[in-house]
Amino acid sequence: MSVKKIVGDSARDLTIAIDDRFDFSLHQLFRDSYSGAEETGTVFTLDLSKTSYMDSSALGMILLLKDHAEKVSGKVIIKNPSDSVAKILEIAQFHRLMTIEK
Amino acid sequence: MADGLNERHYKLALVVDDSVMQCKVLSVLLKEEGYRVYSANDGARGVDMYIKYQPDLVLMDINMPIMNGYEAARQIKSLSKNTLAPLIFITSMDTDQAFIESIEAGGDGILVRPFSPEVFKAKIKSIQRISDLYAQVKSLQQAQQKDAELAEQLMSGVIESRNYALERIGIFKKAADLFSGDIQLTAQCPNGDVNVLLGDFTGHGLRSSIGAIPLAETFRVMTKKGFSLFEIIDQVNAQLYDLLPSDLFLAATFVSVSSHDSTAYVFNAGLPDTYIYDEQGNVKHKIPSSHPPLGVIQQLLPGCQLNVVSVNEADRILLLSDGIIEARNEKGDMYGIERFEQAAISGVKEGDITKSLLADLEDFCGNMVQEDDISLINIPCKGWESPILVAQIQQGDSSLGEYVELAENGAIWQWQVKLTGEKLAKVNPIPMAMGYVHEVEGGGEQWQNLFTVLTELFVNALDHGVLGLNSDLKKEADGFAQYFHERENRLKSLSTGFVELTLSYYAAGNGGRMLIKIKDSGKGFDHQALELSTKQVAIESQQLSGRGILLVSQLCEQLHYQEDGTMVSAEYVIN
Repeated sequence: MSVKKIVGDSARDLTIAIDDRFDFSLHQLFRDSYSGAEETGTVFTLDLSKTSYMDSSALGMILLLKDHAEKVSGKVIIKNPSDSVAKILEIAQFHRLMTIEK
Repeated sequence: MADGLNERHYKLALVVDDSVMQCKVLSVLLKEEGYRVYSANDGARGVDMYIKYQPDLVLMDINMPIMNGYEAARQIKSLSKNTLAPLIFITSMDTDQAFIESIEAGGDGILVRPFSPEVFKAKIKSIQRISDLYAQVKSLQQAQQKDAELAEQLMSGVIESRNYALERIGIFKKAADLFSGDIQLTAQCPNGDVNVLLGDFTGHGLRSSIGAIPLAETFRVMTKKGFSLFEIIDQVNAQLYDLLPSDLFLAATFVSVSSHDSTAYVFNAGLPDTYIYDEQGNVKHKIPSSHPPLGVIQQLLPGCQLNVVSVNEADRILLLSDGIIEARNEKGDMYGIERFEQAAISGVKEGDITKSLLADLEDFCGNMVQEDDISLINIPCKGWESPILVAQIQQGDSSLGEYVELAENGAIWQWQVKLTGEKLAKVNPIPMAMGYVHEVEGGGEQWQNLFTVLTELFVNALDHGVLGLNSDLKKEADGFAQYFHERENRLKSLSTGFVELTLSYYAAGNGGRMLIKIKDSGKGFDHQALELSTKQVAIESQQLSGRGILLVSQLCEQLHYQEDGTMVSAEYVIN
């Protein structure tokens, strides 16, 4: 499976890693990876270091994750996007909406 | 809802067996399960009866005279490619070979004698269940196809067929699915400027089309009413935010081209760079995305603004969605920005950007299936003037003559608005005024020039009066862009000052006279010098600034400045 969920030391620290292609086919898996995390202040780290491609529905899925994070007063951090993925995030100006760490 | 497939209200089975006795036994069992039954005693007859009765189920013996069961099964299956009429072989040959051949001949199952009536009925039930599922999927698929066709029809037939100036603006679209997430809109502003939108909704298919109708409606109506491009973008964003779920949004580029100001206004929210080429194919400007796609955040980001660029008549603006950049060849390589830019440049030189790009793309991709929509819009920067305005200017009657004031109290109606401070920076009173005029006096082309007059006079009062901007700035080649930015800055910090607009309408013959008065809080200016120079400009023409007031003087019966230039009166005549 190309959606990996890693719960950190604290329950308020959740990393979701996407391998290879991040597109609509991952919709359900992606949603399942965070939907149980209801702890207040949870930080959702989205590790895109192994993501080779991302389409616009993936951007939509990240926005749904952001909605969820805001509901529990947490936040989303996007980590290590590859060059091609970073370009897509830049065109969509996502750094204006959430933290992107290179 | 399984129309077409199951119009009968009973189920029909066909038994093909050379033993009359076996036919009877199976018929009895099938009738107990609610089937009506036909039987045939050889394969060839079985095929004929299949064609005649189109049964829901076929039971087939293997060894029969004339045509055996395998051959009959093959023929029946080749006749029923679009339906699943299950076919079960009934045989006494309990061998692997018989089983394998049965399935290869197209059988959906095999039942080996002897079997009990219960086993037989269970087998029929299981096979019928699969066949029902198949019918259900089939009808869902047909319904979906119909929806997609309807959406496609709506998009191309209703939304995009109402686009403006298609003979001048090169629009190309190649959809990946039947229904595309890309939308292309063009519309004419009341002053003759053109507004263009290239949008890409998230995803493909029907889901991505939800926002298309409200988007097209807002874009057209607001353009027609004379709202500025920024006001349109702001409204579209708010509307899509309310309307669409979080993961659905619109990446879009908005462009407005004004031949009058030799200026293009561009706003890129989430699409690849917008290109502006000169005649030789040099890239004059590249405008990257500067805002998240629309519908993502409730209000546009604070401080975001239009890109304002000076353009020449021979320049072309090229908009694209990401489909072309991300198109892949057989090796999985992307077409990419570099190839795109090279092909576009030779396209400009050869005179047809779209054609060159598509030929190059086709060479690159070969026979690969297209994954995403491909959209291109190629806008010339020339010729965006109001046709009516042009016709009137040719008469060349500049009428800055004696001013005769109409009596205030003789008006049929009056409309007045006074905007102060911050509201002045945020509210555009011209669409409101035009809306009121249309409501009271009805619509029509005779009001088109009134829009131009009101806009020019209001903008003058705001820019030169309240904001104290000097129009000399506009005289330089790139001056308009600088002017625009300075204007934006001053508007942002505007806290005092006012503009008051009054319309008074008088009956006159079959038509009427509109008296326009605009008063501003500025310092005023030497209006006598202006009136003189306007007359000169009328002769020399072709200057970037001062043309606005020249236009107004040509469109109005009378134009007069009072109160040290802080108040202007104009009279617009309707015949």
